[in-house]
Formats: sequence, C-alpha cells, structure tokens
Amino acid sequence: MMLKLKFAIIALLIVSTQDVMAQSKTIKGVVTDPAGVPLPGASINVQGSKNSASTDFDGNYALQGVSATDKITFSYVGLTSQTITVGDQTVINIKLAESAQTLNEVVVAYGTQKRAKVTGAISTVSSKDIVAVPITNAESALQGRAAGVTVVNGAPGTSPVVKIRGLATMNNSDPLYVVDGVLVGNLSGLNPSDIESMSVLKDASTTALYGAKAFNGVIMVTTKKGKKGPGQLTFSSYVGAQTVTKRYDVLNTQQYLQYAQDAFNQDLIARAAEFGNINTNWQDEIFQTGLMQDYNLSFSNGSENSTSRYSAGYLKQIGSVIGTGFERYSFRSNNTQNIGKLTVGSSIGVSFNKTNPERNSGGRTLLEHAIKMAPYIPVYNAENLGGYGGVIKDIDGTNDAENPVRVAKNGYQEIIGTSIIGNIFAELELYKGLKFRSQVSLDYYQNRDHTFVPGFYEGTNFQNYSSTAEINSQGQTIVFDNSLTYKTTIGEKHNIEVLGVISKIENKSRNVTAGSRNHISNDIDQLSITDPTLTSANFETNNLGYVVRLNYDYADKYLLAVSGRRDGSSRFGSNNRYGNFYSLALGWNIAKESFMNGSVFSTLKLRGTIGTTGNDKIDDYRYSSNLNNNYTYPFNGQAGLGTTSGSVANPDLKWESKKDRNIGLDFGLFDEKFTGSIEYFNNKSSDILFAVPLAASTGAPGGTQFQNIADVQVRGFEISLGYNDRQGDFTWSAIANLGTSKNEVLFLAPTVRNQVLGPVPRAGLENFSRLEVGQPLFYFYGYQTNGIYQNQAEVNAALGSTQTVYKPGDIRFVDRNGDQVINSDDKTNLGNPYPDFNYGLNLNAAYKNLDFNCFISGVQGNDIFNANKFDLESMDRLFGASTDVLGRSIVTGNVVTNPSATLPRAGGVSQNAGSASERYIEDGSYTRLKNVTLGYTFSGDSFSKYFSKVRFYLSGQNLVTITNYSGLDPEITRGTDGTSASAGIDLGRYPQPKSVIFGFEVSF
Amino acid sequence: MRKKIKYIVVVLSGILAINSCDTKDLELTNPNALSPDTFFKTENQVQSSVNAAYANLQTRGLYARHIFFALDLMSAENQGNGGLEGNKKPFANFSFDASSDIIQYYWEACFLGIAKANFVLDNEEKIQALPNSVLTQEKKNKFLGEAHFLRAYYYFLLVPRFGDLPIYTTQTIDGAARSPKEEVYKLITDDFDFASKNLLSKDVEEKGRATKEAAFAYLGKALLYQKKYDEALAAFNKVTGFTLEPKGQFYNNFMDETEHGPESIFEIEYDEALGVGDKWGSDTSGEGKAESTLRGQEYGNLDWYNVFPTDDLLDEYEAGDLRFGDTFYVPGSKYNNGANTMTAANFGNGTRRAGWKKYQNYYKRVSELQQSSINFKVMRYSDVLLMKAECENQRTGGSQTAAIAYIKEVRDRAGLTTNIPATKDDVFNAIIHERKVELAGEQVRFDDLIRWGLAAEELKDKGFQVGKSELWPIPNRETSSNPNIKPSDNNPGY
Repeated sequence: MMLKLKFAIIALLIVSTQDVMAQSKTIKGVVTDPAGVPLPGASINVQGSKNSASTDFDGNYALQGVSATDKITFSYVGLTSQTITVGDQTVINIKLAESAQTLNEVVVAYGTQKRAKVTGAISTVSSKDIVAVPITNAESALQGRAAGVTVVNGAPGTSPVVKIRGLATMNNSDPLYVVDGVLVGNLSGLNPSDIESMSVLKDASTTALYGAKAFNGVIMVTTKKGKKGPGQLTFSSYVGAQTVTKRYDVLNTQQYLQYAQDAFNQDLIARAAEFGNINTNWQDEIFQTGLMQDYNLSFSNGSENSTSRYSAGYLKQIGSVIGTGFERYSFRSNNTQNIGKLTVGSSIGVSFNKTNPERNSGGRTLLEHAIKMAPYIPVYNAENLGGYGGVIKDIDGTNDAENPVRVAKNGYQEIIGTSIIGNIFAELELYKGLKFRSQVSLDYYQNRDHTFVPGFYEGTNFQNYSSTAEINSQGQTIVFDNSLTYKTTIGEKHNIEVLGVISKIENKSRNVTAGSRNHISNDIDQLSITDPTLTSANFETNNLGYVVRLNYDYADKYLLAVSGRRDGSSRFGSNNRYGNFYSLALGWNIAKESFMNGSVFSTLKLRGTIGTTGNDKIDDYRYSSNLNNNYTYPFNGQAGLGTTSGSVANPDLKWESKKDRNIGLDFGLFDEKFTGSIEYFNNKSSDILFAVPLAASTGAPGGTQFQNIADVQVRGFEISLGYNDRQGDFTWSAIANLGTSKNEVLFLAPTVRNQVLGPVPRAGLENFSRLEVGQPLFYFYGYQTNGIYQNQAEVNAALGSTQTVYKPGDIRFVDRNGDQVINSDDKTNLGNPYPDFNYGLNLNAAYKNLDFNCFISGVQGNDIFNANKFDLESMDRLFGASTDVLGRSIVTGNVVTNPSATLPRAGGVSQNAGSASERYIEDGSYTRLKNVTLGYTFSGDSFSKYFSKVRFYLSGQNLVTITNYSGLDPEITRGTDGTSASAGIDLGRYPQPKSVIFGFEVSF
Repeated sequence: MRKKIKYIVVVLSGILAINSCDTKDLELTNPNALSPDTFFKTENQVQSSVNAAYANLQTRGLYARHIFFALDLMSAENQGNGGLEGNKKPFANFSFDASSDIIQYYWEACFLGIAKANFVLDNEEKIQALPNSVLTQEKKNKFLGEAHFLRAYYYFLLVPRFGDLPIYTTQTIDGAARSPKEEVYKLITDDFDFASKNLLSKDVEEKGRATKEAAFAYLGKALLYQKKYDEALAAFNKVTGFTLEPKGQFYNNFMDETEHGPESIFEIEYDEALGVGDKWGSDTSGEGKAESTLRGQEYGNLDWYNVFPTDDLLDEYEAGDLRFGDTFYVPGSKYNNGANTMTAANFGNGTRRAGWKKYQNYYKRVSELQQSSINFKVMRYSDVLLMKAECENQRTGGSQTAAIAYIKEVRDRAGLTTNIPATKDDVFNAIIHERKVELAGEQVRFDDLIRWGLAAEELKDKGFQVGKSELWPIPNRETSSNPNIKPSDNNPGY
C-alpha cells in the first residue's frame, strides 16, 4: 500500500499537467529519410491519443484534429522517431535521422517480432553497422557488436569461426545460419552489402523452433529488399591494403652460425660461405602487402504492390600471406508481389568464388617452415629444378625445414566454388489474421579444389614428378516449410499469435577425390591415369520437424511465448531417432504500467526464458557399423586388398541436448537516449557426443566409439549499453557491450575422465587439452616449472642421486607429488583457453557532413598455448630459432655459468621441449582498435541534381593492438582440421593484418 | 465458396506433400562402406580379411620407422647423430617414459593387428560354413592359420617389450587386465602351433604370406625365449628346404631384387610401386597405401643419417669377415652400381667411421628418395641355425659339437674359419659374437641381451637400469583408456 502511494506521488510530481484549451486544426507535410528521399508508410501519431496518420507514396501526410499543445511522433522502421510539439505550425516537414538504436522489428525464427514484445535474448546488427566498416565476410559484422558472440577471421576466403555464448559441445560448435529462411552452412557466398540485418538468437526461447539444429545458437540474416518509392541506384566501392608487421625475433646468419657451433658442435662457417654468407629473413619472405578491392552495384524500387532489389558485387583480395587470395562474384535478386490476399516472393543469391588457401607441407605451416629455415640459405637457386633454394644437406636442418616460398608458390591450389542460396514463398491470407505460408528453399554448393605441384628439387626436399589432385564436392539442402499463422486481438488487449510449421529437410552431398602424377612433364596441370588415386562418396541426411509456437500478450504489458518442436534425424539409430524440444518465455513491460507514467524510463522490461535445443552436427551413419577395405599389403608383388571392421557402432546414440535459462532486463531512459540491457544466462548441455577413446589394446577400429558422455555448463552475463545524443548538427552515439562466460564440465562418463586430448601441436610435443569434471572443456594440463637446475646438487636434491637423465641446465619441472620422478602424475592445471569476458565499444559521431566511427574490441583472461615456441626455443635439433636461444643456459663443468638464463641448455633432456609445460602458455588478452573510419558526405543543391548521396571514407583496421602475447596475433584461428579440442592453441596460422581502406558510396 | 475450396486445397496439398515423404526417409544406410552382415561370402572376402591383418606390420609404429630406431639404439648397435628427433633420443639412453609416442605406436600397431586377426577368427563359423565349391577345406584351414600366425606374431613383438599383457582372443571394446607373460607365451605357442599345422608350405604359398616353415621357425623362437630348448629344437628341425645365400652373396639378403631367396623364411613386405601416398600417415592402422619403409632414408649416410653404427659394433667384426663390407659403408666403399665411391666427407664430414649398407638402396642409387621397397627378412635361415646352435648348447644332453657345426655353417659363408672349443661357455660366447655380427641392425640383439641376462653389463654405459629398462612402460594412452590397467599397474620404475 505504502509502495503504491509512493508511486502515485512520484507519478503526480513527474507528470506535468497541462490544461491549455484545445483548439483543433489540420497539419500536413512530407516525411523523408536522412538523404531526403520521401518515405511512404511512415506513421504519425498524436501522443496519448488514437489520432494518427501515415504518409502516402510520396511521403505526404495530413493529420486532422490537432491542437497546438499536442506532441506528434513521426516514426519509421529503422529510423529514429522524432517528437514535435505542434505549436502554431500547420506544415511540418520532417527528416528522420538514422537510428542509433537497434531495429524496432526483430527477425526471429519463422517471422518477425516487435522489439518491445521480444522475450528472448537477441542481438541485432543493422545494415548501417555493416556498411559503416568495410568487411569481406558477413560474419565479421558481428564481431564486438553482439554481446556474447565471438568471431575470429582466418585466411581470405575461409569462414570465420563464430561462437555464441561459449563452447557447449565437443562437436561442431558453429551456429546455424538462416538467410531469408534458408538454412545454410556458412555465409561465405553472401555479399555483406546485401544484408539488411542480422539477428543473433542466443537463448532457447528464440532458437528452440529450430530444435535439433539450434544447439549453438542461430544467426538470422535478412537480405535487403526493395523499398517502396522511386527506383534507387547505388554504387559503392572500396580499395585497401593489408600488412602483417609483427615478426618473431629469429637468428640471423651470424647468430645462427654461432649457435650451431656452440650448441650443436657444428661448424657451418664454410657452409654459409658456400652460399655467399647471405642473410635471408624467411618471415619477411612469407608475408606481403595484401590488397583488396570491392565493388557493389544495386538497384531497388517498389510500387504499391511489389518491391524488388537487384545487386551485383565483386570482391578481390590478395592475402597478406604469400599465395593466398580470394575472389567473389555475387548476384542477388529479391522480389515480392502482392496479389490481393496472396503474397509471393523470391530471394535468390548466386555467388562464384575462387579461394587460394594458405598452403602447407609436411604437416607444417608456412610460419613454422619460415622459423626453422637456416638464414644462410637463399630463397631462390636458379640451378635447382623449380628455381628454389633449400636445405641441401642434413646439416642445413633436415627436410623438416622446407623453403616456405616454394611451399606457397610452387604450383597452386585453388578452390573454385559456386553457391546458390534461394527461396520461393507464397503467403495467403485465408481468413482475417489466418495466414498460410509455403516456402521451398535451397542451399546448393559446388566446389572444385584443384592442387597442382610441379616437380622440384631444393635439396633434401624434392619431388621428381608433378602431382595433380582434385576434390570435387557438391551438395544441396532443400527445405520445405509449410506454416499456418493466426494472429488476433481479443477484447482489444489480448494479443494472440499462433504458429504451426511442418518442416522437411533433405540434405545430399557427394564428393569425388582424384589424384595423379606426371613423371615426364611439369607443363600439364591435369589429371591422368599415371599413379592414380580415386575415391568417391555419397552422403544423405534427412530431418523432419513439427513446430508449434504461441505468443500471447496482455496489452503489450505481460508477455508469454511457448514453443515446441519435434525433430527426427536420420543421423541417429532407430532407438533414439526423435527428439522433443520446447521453450517457455515470460516478459513484463514495466514501463507500460500506469504507475510508470511519466517516469524517466521509456523502456523497462523484465524477461525470463527457459528452453531446450539439440545438436545433430555429427557425421552421417555413425550409428551403424561398417567395414573398412582400405588396406593393402603386397603378396607376390601384387597389392592384396585388406578388409576389416571399420568402426565401432553405437546404436544407442542420442541427441546432444541443451537446456538454456536466460533472464534479461532491457531499459531505455530519457526517451531512449540512454538504452541498455543486462542478461544472465545459464546453459547446461548434456549427453554431449564424443568419440570416446577405447582401450588401445582392444585394437577397436578407429580407436574410438561415439558415445553420449558429458555434461557442460556455460554461464555468464551480457551487458549492452547505448547512448545517443544530438546537439544541433552534432550527433554522437556510443554502444558498449561486454559478455562474460564461464565454462565448466559438470559430468563425464568414467571412460573419459581425465583424458588428455587435443592435437599434438608439433611432432615431439605432447598434447595437453584435458577433460575433467569441474574444469573448462579442454583446459591446458601439463607441468609447472621452476627455473633451471643450476648444479648437480640441485638435480640430486630434486630427483635423487641415481638418475642420470636430468643434468644441470635442464628445466626444473615441479615434482608435485614429491616422488622424485617427473611423470604425468606431476601435471596440473595450466590455463583456460576461454576468455573471462569479451567486449566491444563502438563510437559514432557526425558533424554536419562529417562522420566518424571508432570500434574497439577485446578479450580478457584467456590463455593461449603458443606452439610456435617449440620451434623458437626447443633447441631440440638444429634449426632456425629465436634469438632467445643465444641466452640459453651454458653448462661448464656441470654447473650453469649464467644463472640468469631462462632457457635450458641445448640438447638437454627431451622433456625440456617435448613436455606440455607452462613455458608454452601465455596470457591471450588483448584490446584491439578494430576500426577507425572518417567519412564525408557531399550534399547541397549542385549535388542533389545528380546524386541523392555521395560519401567518401577512409578506414583503418587493426591498427593498434595492446597485448602481452608474444605471438604474431592473439586472435588465433584454428586449422581446417581443427576441432573444438584445439581451442586456444596457436599453431602458427594466418595472422590478422592491419588494413588501410579508402571507399565511397554513390546513390542516384 | 469456390475460392475457399481453392484455399483449402492449397493448404492440404502442402501438408500432404510433406507427410507423403514419410518417416522412412529417416532410415538410411551408409552407401559408402561394406556392411559386416553381408561379408564372408566369397574366397576373395575371406582372403581380404586376412590381408588386412598383415598391413599393421608395415606401419611406422613397426617396420616402416620406429621399431628399428628404438631397438637398434637400445642394443647400442647405433648411436644418434645431431638430427635424431627428440622422440627417438630417449632410446639411446633409456630415458623414455609412458608418454613416448613411439612406444604408443608400437603398442597400438600390434594390438590393431591382433584385433584384425581376431576379426577373422571371430567369423570362423561363417568361413567354415562356406561350401567347398566356394572355398576348399585346405584354404579355410590356411586362412585361419594365417590369422593365428599373425596374432601370435604381434603378441611375440609385444611380450619381450612389455611383459604381462592383456590377452584378446576375440574382438571387443572392453579393455582387459594384464595377464602373466607365461599365459601370453602359451597363447603364442598355441597359435604358432596351429599355424604350423594348417598353413601351406613355402613351395605353394604366395610370397609374402606366412608359411608352414615360418610358423615352425617362430614356434621354435618363442620356445627358445621360454628356454624350452628341446621343444624349440624340435620345431627348428621342421624348418626345411632352406639354405644360406652362398659365400660372397650375403648381401642378397638385403636387396630389393633378391627378395624371397633361399635363406628367407619370413619377410615384411614393401613395394613402392603399389603406392606410397599414405607413407607419412600410417602410424598404427596400416590404412591406405604405405608400401614403403623409411629405413634407408633414416639410416643412410647420404641422406638423413640420423644414426650411425657404434664403435663397439664395428669393432666386433673379425678381420676378414666378409659381412663387414656388406653391412656397412666406409670411406672408399663403392655404391650406385659401382659408379660412385664414398668419401670421408660422406660420414658426418669425417667425424664418423661408417654408415649402414644393410637395407640401404645405395647399392643401386645415390639417394634413398625417402622410400624403400626392400623387404625386411625378419626370419633368416642363418638366424635359425644360430638358434639351433643355442638350443643344442643349452639343452640337457645337448651336443656342443653339433652346435659348433651350425655356427660353422654361418661362419663359412662369411669367409671365416671356425675354431671353437667344444665347451658350453665357449660355444655360448661364440653364439653371442656370431649373432651380433650376423644379425646386426636386424633388431635381435636387444632381446638376446635381455634373455641372456647380459644387458646390465653390456649396456651399463648407456643408462640401462636393472629392474626397469628390460621392459618398456605401458603407454599412457592405454592406462588412460583401459579401466583395467591403471597407471599404477605399469612396469617397475615407470
């Protein structure tokens, strides 16, 4: 009672009572967009009354019955609403500004929703953000802009690694991408400038409608549609240069010769002289100035009953690592047509692309080769077949070190792809509020991955034939959705929307892999039947889903959403083929309560959701056993083909499932000048599928069996804050977001408890990614170290006097159990591959025609296992190495003579280099200035005669990075072979370059 | 009304279209692989199941790479050069532990082979049920015999390295506990015995397959390792139809063109021409085309030269021993069909005395080209002769004179005179010497030293620890994945 009274008093104080006499009149005017283009369908409302109007096709409106004291709000989707007090005006022309805010309409599964009615956790990024910063792939638009979403880019043409709310599975952790309702594998075929908006659905209340495909979250992409109004032609372009400036500090020739002599007793002075005592900086040889250029042309128009938009784009990138590049031609056509109660439409995107990936050899990356190569060896040697220099004798470093320039540039690898993403739909209003919609969508791809390596000789590495390999793959996913929606309002306040969908998904793919050699010529880069290899395979997956959803709200105040999906998948055996997924969401628009009238809060909404999703992203046919006939043994000089058990089947495989809980509070103050939201999520995934290692001695085929073995919890907070202000010609906004995430394994089947998994990062370096209850998935596990043994007494004190393996100058690994033996019992937790939090800060400002954007993103609290340190510091064998090896421990007379040395002696115990120890682990936190852009828009009558808009901009990306990480780039990508188990491991792949870009946009 | 009907038809047809593709679509079978349910129907299929079990012999875990490195270093026949990789170095000073990838690969390659042999034997009923018109009884027996032979062969690679072992006689995914090595030897002897009774003779069998004679030779060797000298001798005596390569042609045992010669009883087969695409990929499974070994590349003094023969081994050869020049290259040796001559610079810039010739391709080319087709003659008749000599010398009532006669046969071929006093000790010492030089670099010496109890003395400067270094540790990969073998169950000292 007291509380109510208080509210009442506050309300009374705040609400200014106005009792001016009302005098009715009519006002009219034109509503335009920021560029001055008339807006059809903008709405004009008198605050606190039902009096409203909307603009016609030319942006004109007329509103009757208005009094001087009325406040009128002009609004249009995607633009900032403006409220004007009428006063004595009769003509009010309004130019609506671009919205600094997120969109009012949010794209959700099977439809859209008003933001005010959203109960789930959804982040959105609009086209404005996407075009503000030049990007080459659509996923990059999410980086740092959507709380809880991490995006890491790789080499040109590779799909970035995207994770939503951390890692909840040990299997494929890629989110589901839905482009205009089409389920697609990735966004590589999509031109970023064709995107209208991206919604990231983060909790199960929003994703459960995609059931078994939504485990890792869903990214909904809506492409730009034609706008009602006169036709508009837009051309935009940018060109830019990219460089990788950071290098590892490695030995030059003089230092290398000294190191070879002192540490390996190899006198190479004469050897280096044979090559003319040159000094090759192999890292400089593998990086180059990358170039990119991008051109987009689009045309949009619309009439009362139809809209259409056509676009074409061309992107060409020359990577900043030699031999890499990407080229994409993209075309898109979006159309809709209204014929009475029938709406039909289509959205088709076609892209052709060519990727030159980063090449590697011997399982080693270019960077690893560049570090290992001796600096006295020349890059080129005209006498060699192919023209490249290289390791000629064992003393030059064995064939582990290959000329990286030859690896990257001898011959070529190109992946030529075609992708078609499209849909056709028809929507029919059967009865008032009752709609039937049928949509067929297609995701088709065809890739030809062709590699040609001419014969070459560079010394111990050579190939005395040319080789050609080709992988042709082709696949299609056809989704057939039929849905019924009923939307009605009962008694003016009960808003009800019901949706039912039947969805059938058919996925088929096929690949053919072939290879051959040519012993006669280097001139033919085609396949032949000399030394051929040939295989092909077909895959098929089918899904069937039944979806229902109910949205209910009472006067926009009390919100309820319930959904359910039943999914069947051919990837699972008959014992567990179907899975049921559900969600429940509740919301309360507190700001709409009468007691909030006149408060500073323009938005205040509390929402909570719970729901489940599943994951079926495992290989096909896992539940059935098969035979493997890929064995060969010679008998009588002929290949005897062998066949044996090929896999350990598990007919009881079932879905991975995830239960999400999410609580959120959205708020907006001072008429949405200050906005924000706070979310807490707690996701628990269970029955995680994993290839469980079987006892090696059973000799079980593949050594593993897929089992549902683990439960993992990921929980955290996400905070987004936004502020926008306008003072005369100066407008500015700031949007900040921060997401925390804590990963913890809750349960493991006994067979996998305490398993150490993950990749072996370098030959001779053990793996270190461990599974343990109570720890993050794949946390780093290995030895702690405590300096270097300085003398024999120290060795004996630690390890006893009988052992002869460890000597002064070796690393003192911490003997945690004190048994004087260093073995796996002494390993412990060395680090967490996942950040404590990610953050992004986006600043926008505009003064008259100038616009400015600055965008900072970063992560904090993660550890990186820097496998490159093995090459740089192991001193295991004589290769190029870090200059730090010059300061290694020097042992004379069984005593270390330079006690300040941090590196062990050369040629010490193999554990020095081969054991997973904390010496490889570094803090991976960084703050990066992802982007700064300065733009200028030309305006004025002389321009508007020909153009509606002309904007030029200059942009810099990744210009400044603040980090303690010693590697080339703390934003590490995983390899193509990477699984979730390779989290946080820097294997030495494509670093993010710094870019400078110039671009412009012209609308006619 | 007409309109309404139209709408209803549209909606219903949409729904029907989906439900007509009924849930049968969710039941798919893998079109890319054979199903076990339909296998073992033809001779080719039975033979193919046996073939697969041979493939593990070729893996990098065994004869393609690691077995010769590990054992020749442990026996101090080799020493490491600067390029020797970190995972191989520990075998030179017995510092390996349970995390060694080489030990893991060795373990897994053997047990994968055992599982494949068991795959054949598990389907014995299906094989026996095939009508004789499809597969004769003789062939049924011999295919089963090959499976028994291979299972025993892999266990016989394992038991000297690890001691007590988990025993599997059927395919399973449940890890077994370790059984005493006596039980493992029982299985080995039973399997070789079965094989000796069912395999075909070398005169009719395809080259590369296990034969009756090979089964007897290995049965004898397994019995010898158990010090059952009389039984061993009886088995060796059934190894008939072999002679030594003649004097002056000892090197025929180590070349590609002279494989399956008169002295060869069992070989590990390699043939580059059949495919080498997976030579770097096959650590344990034997999958794919990996029909070459890295022996030549790794040992060759013109190539990686990762190891070199020790002075101790080089000095063991008597003056005039013809085998020295067929076993090692030294400065002045001819190679490449006599066209080239080795110089001191070819041996670590003059820092090394010799490099290996046995199993190198230099006899016909100048580089190893990272692949070799030369088969390993893992059971030679000279080995059988020397083992027979040992049986005679050791067995109760054995004849030293008979033993000396066997040794003499081997020494005659080497161009040496034989003058051994007919006492047990003298004969034993002669056998120690003769096996060391005859079988150098063939991975028999370390096992010999262990079973003779000489390792402690011979390897004391190499870091050999009595009570520990006799056995390898069970690899971590096993103790972490087999609930019945815990890290605490590991061999002493690990």
